[in-house]
Amino acid sequence: MSTSLTTLLRKAGAAEIAVIVIIAAAFAVPVLTANPLAYSLTNQILIAATASFSVYIMLRMNLMTFAVPTFMAIGGYTSAICGLNYGMTDVIVIGLLCFFIPALFALPIGALVLRLRGVYFVLVTFVLTEITQLLLFETPTLTGGSNGLIGMPALTFFGVSLADNRAVVQTTIGLALVAAIVTAVVTRVFRQQFAGIEENEMLSQSLGLVVWHYKAFGFVIAGGVSGLAGFALVNMLLTAHPTSFAPLSSVNFIAYAFIGGQASILGPLVGAGVLVWAAELFSLRGEYSQMLFGLLIVVVVLSARAGIVGTLFNLATLMKGRNQPLRLAATEERP
Amino acid sequence: MEGIISTGLIGISLGGQYALLALGFTLIFGILGVVNFAHGGFYVLGGYVAYSAVQFLGLPYALAVALAAASTAVLGFLFERLLLERVIDDHLATLMLTLGLYLMMSSGILATFGPESPAFDFPLQGVLRAGRLYLPLENIVVIGVCLTAIVLVYLVIYKTDFGRALRALADDRRVAMAQGMRPTLLFPLAFALATGLAGLTGALVTPILSLAPHVGDPVLAISFLVVILGGLGSIAGATIAAFAVGMVEAYSAVYLGGSKGALLLFVVVLIVLVIRPSGLMGQTAREA
Repeated sequence: MSTSLTTLLRKAGAAEIAVIVIIAAAFAVPVLTANPLAYSLTNQILIAATASFSVYIMLRMNLMTFAVPTFMAIGGYTSAICGLNYGMTDVIVIGLLCFFIPALFALPIGALVLRLRGVYFVLVTFVLTEITQLLLFETPTLTGGSNGLIGMPALTFFGVSLADNRAVVQTTIGLALVAAIVTAVVTRVFRQQFAGIEENEMLSQSLGLVVWHYKAFGFVIAGGVSGLAGFALVNMLLTAHPTSFAPLSSVNFIAYAFIGGQASILGPLVGAGVLVWAAELFSLRGEYSQMLFGLLIVVVVLSARAGIVGTLFNLATLMKGRNQPLRLAATEERP
Repeated sequence: MEGIISTGLIGISLGGQYALLALGFTLIFGILGVVNFAHGGFYVLGGYVAYSAVQFLGLPYALAVALAAASTAVLGFLFERLLLERVIDDHLATLMLTLGLYLMMSSGILATFGPESPAFDFPLQGVLRAGRLYLPLENIVVIGVCLTAIVLVYLVIYKTDFGRALRALADDRRVAMAQGMRPTLLFPLAFALATGLAGLTGALVTPILSLAPHVGDPVLAISFLVVILGGLGSIAGATIAAFAVGMVEAYSAVYLGGSKGALLLFVVVLIVLVIRPSGLMGQTAREA
């Protein structure tokens, strides 16, 4: 491996590269199989992971956001309105709009909610999702109210229709890939600033860091990433409906990041993969599925505090540590 | 004019329920530092315990309500002592644990009782008339029980050694422990008090409103709203905010209709936050 490539990989970070590679590898799913369950799982996991990336960005600054469904709704309804009212179908144009319009909304909202920290921030962002839900129902001329918006034209990619199931999965994978790259770049480039804010906001500020800029930037990017998740969700469901953006769904996205492991970008992806797959598995048990899902959360919280990725990493470090003295001992015994 | 007064009385009734819920929620946060996502679940459980006690055991309604409060308190005690205590200092972990418990509780209720609302009616029916004023008797009972419970909670927190110990632990846990306070006993008791209040509210209110496995979701949202408005951890703030929310909800339901009232409520909360980010009586909310 050349030195420049090694330097690039080190700068990019192993976890970030792994996430991008895993999501890119998902493009193989629609090539290898036409199984509807595989398509459905891939769609659900990657939409969940995209939304969780948004949570992850804010967690880097020790802010737990419940506002993800708000920005997902803005992104999702943007895509539906673009198709229905303006006949726009180009996936790149709509994708850009679904990123930038929620990001634009995030700026004034951030000015309001980023004044708060800790649990207060949690509660206020939760209230924000409640307001969003009510607004979706109360503005029928724009959002279709309780009927939602249906009948959007199929997306196109350079004139090619993306109407069939395979194309829908490919669209979701593409959007998740963009979201992962954006998240990886932002959290790597501003790693130290975010870590400073996470560790001690006041101290960082006193040392000259303009904390507000980074928090606002993170919130705006998180809003944009959520918008992409909303776009993918509406494209998968073929409808934009208020119930798709329920306030309590934000809890799931936080759960994905937490159960997967909040210390690394791999966490949200692994958490979304495991929990969505588990929910699908549990759904065979009908009404007990939520119970099993809840039980899984309780078990992971009590037995693997660092999340799945963090625990595996800790175990690997432990094994490495155990092996180290053995190797030294073996060296010392050598004549 | 009579309509305005009658609506105000309904608002007080709503405010009393919200105050009981929010008191429990804010107690748990103020003393343990835990955001209890299962609070709505305890409310629903209280409703179903009271319903079962009346329907299957044939107990009188008053006894069923007491049983609901006691059983949710016991469950809360056990949950805090056996599970929550292990991760009590990790805010995110406690949030996840309470969320897991809520999912288990609501789906357990769903699996046991089914998705349909059971026929659970308030035992006292009728309307109290005073001139041209009308007020349902059930609302009067709710107001009476809620106000009594609120006063009792105040007495427990501010006038007993148990309450003083809880406030000491909330203030500075290390110093309180050095003085001999035992959080491993007091924290579960505080949690039990809060979940008991949620269960009591559920048993009292669900026969009037509705009883179904998922009615806890809006209850959680209302609890959030009230504690944000009142100031996190502030018992007085939560009580005042609860009655304010009850009033706004009652008047907006009558004069605006639909979900516009709820929307107005949330917008009012946002405006309050812009003017006073720590809520009505919160002091350290930004740092919470």
